[in-house]
Amino acid sequence: MKKTLWFILPIIAVGLAWEVVSRSGIVNPSLFPPVSKVFLALWEMVNSGIIITDVGNSLWRLLLGLFFGSVIGIVLGLITGRVKKVSSLLVPIIQALRPLPPVAIIPLVIVWLGIDNTAKIFSIAFAVFFPVWINTYIGAQQIPQTFLWSAKLLTTSTLKVFYRVIFPATLPFAIAGIRSAIAVSYIMVFVSELAGASSGLGYRIAIAQSSYRIDEMIAALIVLGILGALTDYLFVLSTKKMFPYLALRSQ
Amino acid sequence: MKQIEVKKLSVSYGNFGVLCDIDFTVEKGEFIVIVGKSGSGKTTFLHALADLIPFSGEIDIPENKGVVFQHYAVFPWLTVSENIAFGLDRYSEEKQREVTSEHLRIAQLEGKDDSYPAELSGGQVQRVALARSLAHSPELLLMDEPYGSLDAYTRDQMQEWLLGVWSEHKKTIVFVTHSIEEAIFLADRILVLSNKHFIEELKVPFGRPRKEEIKFTPEFNQLRKNIFESIS
Repeated sequence: MKKTLWFILPIIAVGLAWEVVSRSGIVNPSLFPPVSKVFLALWEMVNSGIIITDVGNSLWRLLLGLFFGSVIGIVLGLITGRVKKVSSLLVPIIQALRPLPPVAIIPLVIVWLGIDNTAKIFSIAFAVFFPVWINTYIGAQQIPQTFLWSAKLLTTSTLKVFYRVIFPATLPFAIAGIRSAIAVSYIMVFVSELAGASSGLGYRIAIAQSSYRIDEMIAALIVLGILGALTDYLFVLSTKKMFPYLALRSQ
Repeated sequence: MKQIEVKKLSVSYGNFGVLCDIDFTVEKGEFIVIVGKSGSGKTTFLHALADLIPFSGEIDIPENKGVVFQHYAVFPWLTVSENIAFGLDRYSEEKQREVTSEHLRIAQLEGKDDSYPAELSGGQVQRVALARSLAHSPELLLMDEPYGSLDAYTRDQMQEWLLGVWSEHKKTIVFVTHSIEEAIFLADRILVLSNKHFIEELKVPFGRPRKEEIKFTPEFNQLRKNIFESIS
């Protein structure tokens, strides 16, 4: 109860301050509409169903991109982290691509793949791959030697060592990578929807800007922010459910 | 019958020699303890025996050996029973369950099957580590300061438990420790490692089974003093 209060209080305080500042005449209310007007706009968008469709479209693009980018990042991270030959082959290439700002590839992706969903999912997956890969790669190199020795003494199956020892030993690193990738994926879904889309939160904000609906822009931004925080929260929650020992270790 | 025979074993890390020309034999069923200061190469010696690091010289040792490490012996992402069953691929599922529950009993962890290592005490975790090695039915056990991170009281309990397991299973054990007291209490024979090789070998005169009380006898203290002096 007390915790909920401490969570809600600052939000109410910020909302009140916002309302007062906006209505006081210090700022231009058409540029900085009061929070009540923003929520009214949000309510209209929810009622008409527009925002629901936008959220749905943005979310599934984001989740698919996040999924593919993470899976490829983890698999390559484990292999480059543990197999020297593969690592000397692939790491220089990955490292050369990694410093690119991922949004910079969007124009090229549009030329190659068009502006449909494949292009957006590809752009998101591309951006997600790097933080997941680098974390997994570093984690896989830092597995305590005794884990690997114990495994080697108890089993002859390399595959078993990979999925029963190397993967779980690296998992906390991969999870950290995915968590930073979640933030990146929101950037990517937003930018890729700005640059050619007919639905999604990014598209909605672009449309609202061109029709000077600042209340709608802010409403869509609030939704975007809540979604981002929620995605991270749900991700952490589900990893604790799926891998209960992780929660134990952090106690 | 000889179980381990080591001839002219040397190990070096780069240009730095850790062990030099070591000869070493162990009889089947013997409990050997190696003592030495930190950095004397005890762990390196054990790792060479387990064929985990490069060495020069000859080591004749059974293929099937269990190793219990000081840290990170037990996989924290597997439950107690999954840890114990880790090396049992060659058995049918039913046999795996049977061997696992037998070793849960040995480790005195019945009812803890589904617990994770983080939910156990330090002593319990080390018993899982030993049970996992035993379940693999090795011919001998190599133990690297397994009780180094336990408190004194738990350590005493673990020593008695280990002696019980050893006398029941008749495995050869090579045990490394920096505790002279632990060495005397456990060993048939103690080897003192210093300056790259064994500088002294002592037979422990106490009979078996051994009880805690022998640690308070004058003979025990005298032996401890002798070993202490030869190490320092």
